[in-house]
Amino acid sequence: MTEAVVDVRELRKTFRVTEREEGLAATLRSFVKRRRKDVNAVAGITFRIDPGEIVGFLGPNGAGKTTTLKMLSGLLYPSAGDAKVLGYVPWRRENAYLGLMTLLMGNRTQLVWDIPAADSFRVLQEIYRIPEDRFRAAVNELTELLELQELVHKPVRNLSLGERMKVEFAAGLIHSPSVAFLDEPTIGLDISMQVRIRRFVAEYNRRTGATILLTSHYMDDVVALCKRVIVIHRGRLLYDGPLADLAERMAPYKIITATLHDGAAPSTDLDSYGTVVSRDEGRVMLRVDRQVAPERTARLVNDLGDRLADISVEDPPIEEIIDRVFTSEQATVSA
Amino acid sequence: MIRTYRALLVAQLQAASQYRVQVLLWMLFSVIRPVIFLAAWVAVANAQGGQIGTYDVRDFAAYYICLSLVSCLTASWNAYEFEYEVRFGRLSPKLLRPLHPIHYAVVENLVAKLTQIVPLSIVLVFISITFDARFRTTPAHVLLFVPSVMLAAALSFLSGWVLATTAFWTTRVHSVSTFWDRAAFIFAGQIAPLALLPGPLQAISLALPFGYVLGVPAEILRGGVSPSTALLLMAGQAIWLAIFFVAFQRVWRAGVRQYSGVGA
Repeated sequence: MTEAVVDVRELRKTFRVTEREEGLAATLRSFVKRRRKDVNAVAGITFRIDPGEIVGFLGPNGAGKTTTLKMLSGLLYPSAGDAKVLGYVPWRRENAYLGLMTLLMGNRTQLVWDIPAADSFRVLQEIYRIPEDRFRAAVNELTELLELQELVHKPVRNLSLGERMKVEFAAGLIHSPSVAFLDEPTIGLDISMQVRIRRFVAEYNRRTGATILLTSHYMDDVVALCKRVIVIHRGRLLYDGPLADLAERMAPYKIITATLHDGAAPSTDLDSYGTVVSRDEGRVMLRVDRQVAPERTARLVNDLGDRLADISVEDPPIEEIIDRVFTSEQATVSA
Repeated sequence: MIRTYRALLVAQLQAASQYRVQVLLWMLFSVIRPVIFLAAWVAVANAQGGQIGTYDVRDFAAYYICLSLVSCLTASWNAYEFEYEVRFGRLSPKLLRPLHPIHYAVVENLVAKLTQIVPLSIVLVFISITFDARFRTTPAHVLLFVPSVMLAAALSFLSGWVLATTAFWTTRVHSVSTFWDRAAFIFAGQIAPLALLPGPLQAISLALPFGYVLGVPAEILRGGVSPSTALLLMAGQAIWLAIFFVAFQRVWRAGVRQYSGVGA
């Protein structure tokens, strides 16, 4: 077994938060006595990531994704449990470790707003002690991959959100980290910029062999980049395994889409095959149990005969699967 | 480290160059208070026959001019900046780089002083002529002033960081630092030169750190104390600096542990 780059065991983080009701009386009471509550942001998760993997870290808001990334990057001390990244305990924040990893948060900036990014890069070069030749090579490579030529000489505050995100990526990766934690890297970006960032992450991983743990609410990011996903909900691990198997484990049904030559048949005709999900312009979508999908498909082909123009059997969209996972409290399933 | 400082300095100077007007306003603002006190003391001294203790009107002028200069050279506003950085998560990226966050603040502090010192000197020369200030400064005083003001700046900066670090526990550092500033107002030599404070108040002032930041280097520059007294006062500065250095290391370590990422 290869040495894991990220090795997390029973990691927990509990925050203590102050609570109070609204209104004057409650406000006055809170001056004297505060009610505190422990919130288990991360409630004991275990996983490992091998070198060069790109892993999608999925979960709804408040699932504990960002808290986990903050612990793994060294920003937060855990309440319990262990983690090692590249053999280092992250929260000791040894300079040797900090020089080998990066945490990029889509909604946060780390560049100095008032100066061009090129000048911030120079500061980072000195902070990370990057030799001149390696620095130039890194800047050239990032400039090419992210198409930064026009952007690095403008003050950061004059850049658009998408432009700034590209420059943030460059700043976060200028020291060629071996591990990158990406927290919502495409948040707020338009589709074409999302696609570019995705391509960049894939290319960066291919060129450098860096290990990447990525959170995103855009399933396209995950589908495009991650063969493996880790799903957490309320601080607990729900699934860890291939993205391809997620549907099989989490959604026990398939979607059959049938296109008919002569417009859609009445739904009553189709109820015996499965649940009709949608019907328009001669196109019918049916939800059927995974086990009976082949048999139902065969029956449909047989029964519809010449009326059938096309038929496909697919897993439900990934968003739907994820939503299903989060709305139904499922027990831990690991691949 | 020198190369890192140079790179940070270049970046900060560039950023500061975009706020030239703000720099000037801050500088003028920092002069207003000493000038008001100077005017008040001149009025009081004139009412009492031109002399209070060992100070006449021209001594007061020299003292407050020196105080303005020292005030500029030792200014530290970390507590305010740091609270903002913690609350809005701007500290996080800094914590994740292999460079202690204090270094960014040191450079920022130096740049602010560098940009203010020239226009401030011009204003102070003008005030000096207006009030006919009398400096009793000898070359020995100038020689002693340089390390003294450096000790004072370091003391002010580090004590500011210790205060600022409380932001890890409370998101209301303002109240702590406001209390600190009020105490400094009384005990640092802003209301009156330390030598003119009533006995007990003077003793308290010399026991507290505030005077070592402002009043002490100002008096050394004015030539208001003998070189041997100056050395004794500088020993006081060094002791307070050592205390705050140890405090800073401890509080910082505990604080980073506590850092719960308030908005980080």
